[in-house]
Order: sequence, then C-alpha cells, then structure tokens
Amino acid sequence: MDQYMILKDYVSSADAETALFYVIAILAISLSVGVISDRNIIRSGFILIGVFGAISGLFLMLQAQFLALAQVMIYAVGITLVVVIALMLTNPRSEREAVITEGDEFSQETGAVQFIQRLQQGTPAFVAVFSFFTIYLAIRSESWTPVTEKVSTDNVKVLGEALTTVYSLPFEFASVLLLAALIGAIMLAKAEKRQPAIESAED
Amino acid sequence: MIPNAPEIGKLLFIICFWICAIFLPVWLVSWAVGVLLPMLLEQGSPSMAMTATAETLRALTPIISVMVFIPINAMFMVLYERRALALFTVRLGPNRVGPDGLLQTAADAVKLLFKEDITPRGADAFMFTLAPIIFFAPSIFGALPLLAAITNNHSLYQITNLPTGIFYILAAASLPVVALVMAGWSSNNKYSLVGGLRAAAQAISYEIPLVLSLVTVCLMAGSLDVVKIAQQQDGGILNWNIAGGGALRGLDKAIQTKLGVETTPLITPQQSSDPTETPVAAPTTFEEVIHQYYPFEFLSYISAGVLIFCSFILLGLYLTGACAEINRIPFDLPEAESELVSGYNTEYSGIKFAIFFLAEFTNLFIVSSIATVMFLGGGDNPIPQWLLNKMPLEPIQKSLGAILSPFINGLHLIDPDTFWAAFWVIFKVYTFVFIAILIRGTLPRFRIDQLMDFGWKRLVPLSLIAFLVVVFARVLVVCHG
Repeated sequence: MDQYMILKDYVSSADAETALFYVIAILAISLSVGVISDRNIIRSGFILIGVFGAISGLFLMLQAQFLALAQVMIYAVGITLVVVIALMLTNPRSEREAVITEGDEFSQETGAVQFIQRLQQGTPAFVAVFSFFTIYLAIRSESWTPVTEKVSTDNVKVLGEALTTVYSLPFEFASVLLLAALIGAIMLAKAEKRQPAIESAED
Repeated sequence: MIPNAPEIGKLLFIICFWICAIFLPVWLVSWAVGVLLPMLLEQGSPSMAMTATAETLRALTPIISVMVFIPINAMFMVLYERRALALFTVRLGPNRVGPDGLLQTAADAVKLLFKEDITPRGADAFMFTLAPIIFFAPSIFGALPLLAAITNNHSLYQITNLPTGIFYILAAASLPVVALVMAGWSSNNKYSLVGGLRAAAQAISYEIPLVLSLVTVCLMAGSLDVVKIAQQQDGGILNWNIAGGGALRGLDKAIQTKLGVETTPLITPQQSSDPTETPVAAPTTFEEVIHQYYPFEFLSYISAGVLIFCSFILLGLYLTGACAEINRIPFDLPEAESELVSGYNTEYSGIKFAIFFLAEFTNLFIVSSIATVMFLGGGDNPIPQWLLNKMPLEPIQKSLGAILSPFINGLHLIDPDTFWAAFWVIFKVYTFVFIAILIRGTLPRFRIDQLMDFGWKRLVPLSLIAFLVVVFARVLVVCHG
C-alpha cells in the first residue's frame, strides 16, 4: 500500500511533469521541422495542425484549460482554411513534375548579384537566430517573479473577470482591430463594378 | 384506423430489441470493469500492484463503456434510420436478415470488415489512412464530459467531469472538418476534393450559429460545466432550459408552495452573494414566491415569455447548426450522393469506410445528447416533483425496490440515482435521433449558394439577436445561474 502511494506521488510529481514536457516539446519541435521541410504545402499545412495540438498540450500542462481548448478550436479550423486556400492557389500536378535543380541557380549571374542573392537567402536564418536569442534571454532573465500560489481550478472564471475588468481596454482594442481587418478583407474581396467607359473602350 | 400499424409495431419492436442489445452490454461491461473487478482485486490481496490495477480499471471505465457502446449503437442507428425512412416513404425496408431484418446491419458490419482495403493510385497513403482516424477520435473523447452529466455525476464517471465541459465538447467537435479536408485531398479524386472543400466551407459557416446558441444557453445557466448545467435543470419540465433557462422555475416553486410540498429554502443569487444582509424568511404563499422570482411584476412576466420564446429559437438554431456540422440531409453537400458520388469518402472501402460510417452515426448520437443535456434537462424526469408526489407511485417503487435490492446493495449492479437518469436520457436522445431521421425523410438537399445564404444571412444574425435579447431579458427574471 505504501509503495502504491509512492508510485502515485511520483506520477503527480515534478519529475513526471518535466518528462512529459520534454515529450511534448520534442513532438512540437519535430513536427514544426516537418512543416518547413515538407515540399508539399498542403501536407505541411496538416502537420501545422499537429504542431498547434502539441502546443495546446503544453498549455494543458500549465493548467490553462481554456487556452488549450481555444488553441485546438481556433487553429484546427483556421489552418483547415489555410489548407483550403493553399489547395485553391497551387497546382499539385506541377509540383510533382517539377525537377529540383539546385546549384546551377546562380550560374548565369555576376559575383555581386550572387552575393546579394545569397544575403537575401540568409536573412530568414538571421532573423530566426536573432529572435530565438532575444526570446531566450527574455525568458532566462532575472526579472521574473515566480508565484507559489496555486492555480485556480475555475480558471475560465478568472480569465473572464480579468478580460472584462482589468484588461477590458486591450480586449476592446483587439476586437476593433479584428473588425477593421474584417471590413478591409470584405472591401478587398468585393467584386468591383466595371466602369462603363472602360468597358466600351475594351469593346 | 392506421393502415401501417403493423409496420410501426415492427419498428418499435426493433427499437426496443436493439436498445436492450446496446445498453445491457454497456451496463454489464462498465459494471464489471468499474465495480466487480476492482472489488475482487482488492479483496484478494491488498498489494501495491493490485490496488494500482483496481484504480486504473476504475479510471478506465468511461472510455471502455464508450468503446463498447459506439459500434453497437452505430449498427442500431443505421437500421433504425433505414426502417424509419421506409416507414415514411411507404416501403418495407430491410426485412430479410433475421426476423424482420433485425440483424441486417450486424451482417453489413461483418461484410465491411472483410472487404478489401483499397488505397487508390496517386493517393497520399499516410494522410489517406490518418483521415478516418482523426474523424473518429473526437467522437470518442468529445463525448466524455456528457457521461458525467447524464449519469448524475456518478462516482465512476466523475473523472470525465471538466470545469470547461461544453467548451471541450465544442473544441472536439471542430476537429472532424480537418479529417474531411484531409480525406478529400489525399484521395486523389476530384469529387472527393470538392466534397472536402464543401465540408470545410459548410462546417466553418455553421459552427458560428451552433456555438452562439450553446453560448447563450451557458449564459442562461451561468456555467460552462455540463454537469452543473444538467443539475440546475432538476425537477421537472418547468426547470429545463427549453422553458426559458429557468424562467419558469419561480412558477414551479410557487406551485410547490401552494401545494405544501417540502422544499429547500429559496435563496436567490443576489441574497446569497451578500453576507451582511440578514437572510430573508422563506416565502410561504403563492404570491410571495412569485414576487421573489419575478420582482418587476409585469415586466418580469413579459421577459419570462421572451426567454421561453428565445430558448425555442436557440434549440432550433442548435439543431440546424448541428445538422450541418455532422453533414446530414438537408446539409449533406460534402457527400451528396447524386452529385459527388458520396464526396470525401468516394475512394474509401472496407474498414476505413466503416470507420467513417461509424463516426457519422456516433456524431449524430453525440449531437442529440448535447441537445438533451443543454436543453432538455439531461437525465431529469419531465414530470414536476409536485405532480409526481400526487401519483400513486409508492407501491410500485416499494415492490421494485424489493425485487432489485439484492442487485443494488449486494452487487452494486444498479445505482438507484443513475438508473432513471439513464432511462430518460436514452428516451430523449433517441427522440432527437428520430427527429433527425424525420427531417432527412422530409427535406431535399440545399444548393451550395442557398446553404451559404441561409447560414450567413439568416442564422448568424438570428443567433446574435437571440444572444442580445437573452442578455437583457434575463436581468428581469431570477433564472438559473
């Protein structure tokens, strides 16, 4: 019986949590590497859903149930839309027929142009490394104050109260921004009425 | 009088037979896993491994009972649907395998399992295999919080009780659309692709009214927890969310006071939240109770009426949205048989097709049980308590108790709290399923532009208006939550 309690304690201890964190983190990282390395854009869209699923697992470990579920709900549907748009904009057959020609891409260009092109290719890598170190240093800085207080089990309530009292202004700003984006998208996508003068000119 | 009475009789017989065939195994398995085996293990030798196994078995009970339930239930629902449709269209339906076609779908299931599993040339084999799995998985784990709600939070199913219950169910319900697009794309078939794209467009459009209607119900209940929502609606049809989310609760209580039924002291939320105020003495007359629950007299009566009207609209919105989410007629555009040769699952055969089929019917069941828990009071008896007390049920209860007491006390085979709840849940859920079949037999399929028009121009504004009206109307009445 005692051994059983020890086992139970171990399962709910910090060690097990750390192990679980590493499992989920490795899953998330390997899936995100999959997203950028897969040559088929639709397939990488589906893998992206897996990445966000793993990240929602991290949220669950932090006892942020609401955020984890919102992550699943929004990204599962949102990325499905991205996949659908990718389906509409790409031609799968041309991708299959394309012959990968690496190496002789820059052969016709002069040295300076080649250098600029290589620099352009290096930019994403630079941005990635730079932002990684910025975030890493921010996370490891001393200014965080860990709180030992227990997380409320009813954290949806806490979240809702915070959003409607302390953070109501940022919340409203975010919704106005989304509204603006929505109206902008509709304006862009709306079919313009052709002006009769141009139409007659085309005829 | 009714010319097709024998056919209706046969359908009723099939329903009764199959419901027994579904729920007796589920009951026995969950009893064996959750009660009997742990009991035997712990009696045998109280070692570490034994206790751990017993606890694990208890924790696994919900998932095992769901696993037993899903395949048998899907078999029943296919037969139920085919026979009921045959009844509506004056045909005979499947009537060869077994007495009156009773075993038709069992034979079909065996046939599907032995069929060859084909992967078409040019298909993305990995995604092709993954799609049915992703489609099926949410219907297993998405329904779990409902188990706690419909069994009155029974100790074996308490593990599935989440504080964010309904949100969890909705998050799980939004996953199948991924699988539909995946299936449509990976099949390397134009019809399938069109089916997948249609599924994405439809699911995203109809998710909004669906979620908004459930959010409004949560607003009336003041909670996201399905168990809490189900328990609030205890005590007869007047307390259910369909009756204005508790707007008629005051009437129920008033009648109880008038008839002199023993009730718990009535404490309104406003009073309980303020500790300094001295507790008001429990009202004793009909008028006082009415005044307590409807404080603004005439305005309150009107808003109670508005709430009742709104909750009927919400149920309609929910059922429409849910019908579209699970791709049933009249919203079965993703798998339109006459246009797209069954859409995203054109290329599927054998076990994978069976999994798609299984998940579709399980989703129908889940959608009906969400409606039951959110609107129709979960496992609550529709007859109000004061009416129940007047009925001569005492001798029946006593004799039933005498017959069943060895099962209740000795073997723990029957839980008296859960037994009637389960009965009512089964009755209500299969009524919703029947309505879905009736709609399938009645309405033709939408055209895709009509579908989008109906979703975005009618349902979304209607659900927003209902939401706003409920927000203002419920201030004037003392409701749930």
